[in-house]
Amino acid sequence: MRRRKSGSIWMILPLYFFTLVFVAGPLLYMVALSFAEPGAGYGVNWSFSLDNYKRILEPVYLSTFVQSFKLAVTSTLAICLIGYPFGYFMAKMPPSRKKKAMLLLMLPFWVNSLIRLYGWIIILQNKGMLNFILQKLGLINEPLKILYSYPAIVVGMVYVLLPFMILSVYSSAEKLDWSLVEAARDLGATKLQAFVTVSLKLTLPGLLSGIILTFIPSMGLFFIADILGGNKIVLVGSLIQEQMTRGNNWPFAAALAVVLMILTTAMIFFYRKLTNAKELEGLG
Amino acid sequence: MKNKKKIFSKFYVLLCLVFFYLPILVTMIFSFNSSKSLTRFTGFSFRWYSELINNVEVTKAVYVSLTVAILATLISTVLGTVTAIGLSKSKKVVKELLLNVNNIPILNPEIVTAIGLMLLFSSLGMRKGYLTMLLAHIAFCTPYVITSVYPKVRSLDPNMANAAMDLGATPYQALTKVIVPMIKEGVFAGALLAFTMSFDDFVISYFVSGNGVKNISIVVYNMTKRINPTINALSTIVIVVIILVLILANVIPRLKARSLKINKKAERAIAMVLILLLAAGLVKCGSVSQSSHVLKVYNAGEYIDLNLLDEFEKKFHCSIVYETFESNEMMYTKLSSGETYDVLVPSDYMIERLIKEEYLQALDWNLIPNAKNLLPQVKNKSYDPGNRYSCPYFWGTVGILYDKTVVDAEDLKDGWNLLSNPKYKGNIYMYDSERDSFMIALKALGYSMNTTDENEIQEAYEWLIHQRDTMEPIYAGDDVIDNMISGNKAMAVVYSGDASYIISENPNLGYFTPEEGTNLWYDAMVITKDCNEVDLAHEFINFMLDEESALSNTQEVGYTSTVESAFETMKDSDYKGIDSYIPKDDNPNSEIFAYQKPNIKQKYAELWTKVKAK
Repeated sequence: MRRRKSGSIWMILPLYFFTLVFVAGPLLYMVALSFAEPGAGYGVNWSFSLDNYKRILEPVYLSTFVQSFKLAVTSTLAICLIGYPFGYFMAKMPPSRKKKAMLLLMLPFWVNSLIRLYGWIIILQNKGMLNFILQKLGLINEPLKILYSYPAIVVGMVYVLLPFMILSVYSSAEKLDWSLVEAARDLGATKLQAFVTVSLKLTLPGLLSGIILTFIPSMGLFFIADILGGNKIVLVGSLIQEQMTRGNNWPFAAALAVVLMILTTAMIFFYRKLTNAKELEGLG
Repeated sequence: MKNKKKIFSKFYVLLCLVFFYLPILVTMIFSFNSSKSLTRFTGFSFRWYSELINNVEVTKAVYVSLTVAILATLISTVLGTVTAIGLSKSKKVVKELLLNVNNIPILNPEIVTAIGLMLLFSSLGMRKGYLTMLLAHIAFCTPYVITSVYPKVRSLDPNMANAAMDLGATPYQALTKVIVPMIKEGVFAGALLAFTMSFDDFVISYFVSGNGVKNISIVVYNMTKRINPTINALSTIVIVVIILVLILANVIPRLKARSLKINKKAERAIAMVLILLLAAGLVKCGSVSQSSHVLKVYNAGEYIDLNLLDEFEKKFHCSIVYETFESNEMMYTKLSSGETYDVLVPSDYMIERLIKEEYLQALDWNLIPNAKNLLPQVKNKSYDPGNRYSCPYFWGTVGILYDKTVVDAEDLKDGWNLLSNPKYKGNIYMYDSERDSFMIALKALGYSMNTTDENEIQEAYEWLIHQRDTMEPIYAGDDVIDNMISGNKAMAVVYSGDASYIISENPNLGYFTPEEGTNLWYDAMVITKDCNEVDLAHEFINFMLDEESALSNTQEVGYTSTVESAFETMKDSDYKGIDSYIPKDDNPNSEIFAYQKPNIKQKYAELWTKVKAK
């Protein structure tokens, strides 16, 4: 009996160690730092003040939050519209093709996302492929200035985050009992009715978890705004990066990160209330 | 009817796949381009592949990315699996709490985890580098492993392990012989996920690494600021390798099924050989520069002829760790966060600050005989009287680069206010630099660019806000170079050195420095106080002042040399007729940036963030 107990302790110890040192530790330290002040020139003055949080309420910084939020909404909406049908169609494919589609979907995932974004620079630049094609087709006279603009950032976001939506919609659509759709049709529902009342309703958890999985990261992916948006500060993430590096104000950056964390947690809390789900679909 | 719908869904899926693969395809095509252009395909060549192989920075980054990913995957898989098993044995309340805490890194934007880890490492006084990157990767990969292993563990019969132990198994045996085989699927999925996350990671690595340790993402991020087709070559190689791995993964099981006779020993032998080969490759990759003397040089990006570094390494049997920064402020942040370098190449005002804050050591000019090659007009400037600490590297001005075919010559009389001439709305690049942008506004208003008067600063801020709102400029970095060469906008605020290079590529452009005066700047080489290789550092400075190295340096970079012979050669032959190469240092209105007190600096930084965050 004694042997068994000691075995369990050895199995539980790494758990506590890891959680405390690698997850809880950094976060708690960050929260503590967010109440400190930046030192003159460099470093941190340990003190307790709410100045960093008050500063976030200044119109400029607040507007960055609003802007970041808007961008996240736009990107997530686009991702839903593009990703939902893809995941849904994929779930309806015959098994052999399903496997191929999954492979084709995952392959770009393995290529570094910064390299893939670099490809978009080539496509979107003024004399790039997109403008070339549009001009040849006679759709535009002047090249469109897409690169380093808001739409370019949205394209980048959609491109990087779309697979998360597809995978989570797919994983809930795959579990869908298609005979229910048939039953609805047999009972006289139109195609649209059957889709809305049965398919959509049953895949809603996947859609919602897809929204969470795309909305949240899109607030922080500063490199997309950097590479495709031309160094503009449009994301909370870019603001944090700016304060961490050039601004040299770590406590303020920590406060921004804490607020971001609270927003995220609140969103997930509501998601759980809404769906009664404990875990997000399609993770892994 | 049904067919029609099928065709639609097929077409839709196809369209999406095009969206996924288009950027990858484009990079692959341009990786074989013979010229640097990313708009026209000028001919087939392997030029960028050979440049890639010779690029030490990239090969090192591949090594770092691979080894970190492998190690992080191994460690986090073991840690995550053990943790997941431990979780299943915990009490319900504890279990919920721990699961929720471990979910935080997965659910939050990566930048939150990144900042947390970076702050933790710096509070522990850990030097940023390979170890911090590895630890951070383990930290963010493990929760993913837990999420994919835990559901499998939960579905196990809890009595299984007890039964095994009752039958005489040790806890270790129970774990490896009973539990692990049953959760194998989840462990594999977790390991795969961990590897993918680690190999692809940018945000976390960007914040927690340093001291020359970079993974592929960081190198690519630094490269995207300027056109660099070696990225295309790298991306093509990555894709080909992945496809090969996938094919192998699909083919091997089939072969195995066909010839079951291959015994397990042979299989293991093959696996061992493969692992050894991989390890040997990694060791070779990693040992690119393993010699006793290491010089750490920290310079601005794209600011040196990289061949000179090779030459220096060969000549002095040492290796150089070469790192680049985006701005003086970035360099200062790194330096003050405890990273150590031997030689830095900052700008005037930053040198003044570094001297004041005692980061530098005085130069021993006896060890720099090539100092005789220096131009007289770059010596003894206000930022370092008598050049006690610094040796000039490049120099120049800040001015406006304009498209002669678009901008009226008459309008140039406006000076800096040309940048707020509504005629050119939406047609302007500003430079994403706090001090240079305020310099423009202050000069346009007729003030000193080194002012500490709050009212003047406030007025300059309003000038910038007004200009932002009426002109809609883009605050660009080095990307302005390629964009101006392609003639994307009518004008741009640039450094004279970049102007020279851009004009040499696009003769439609001109450069002028307004009469109201501008920033006359000097970048210089300095040696840090905690330099470990003082002699080698002096040799490096001396080497850069050598007439031949100075010439190839200025030819490669385009900035104005501080070495007389190189300066003369460039202005009379290579860059003949490009007046931006000759800095106008006789305008009495022009100034050199001076050191700013922390409170003033903070003020500027705050206002600049406000200008950029619309």
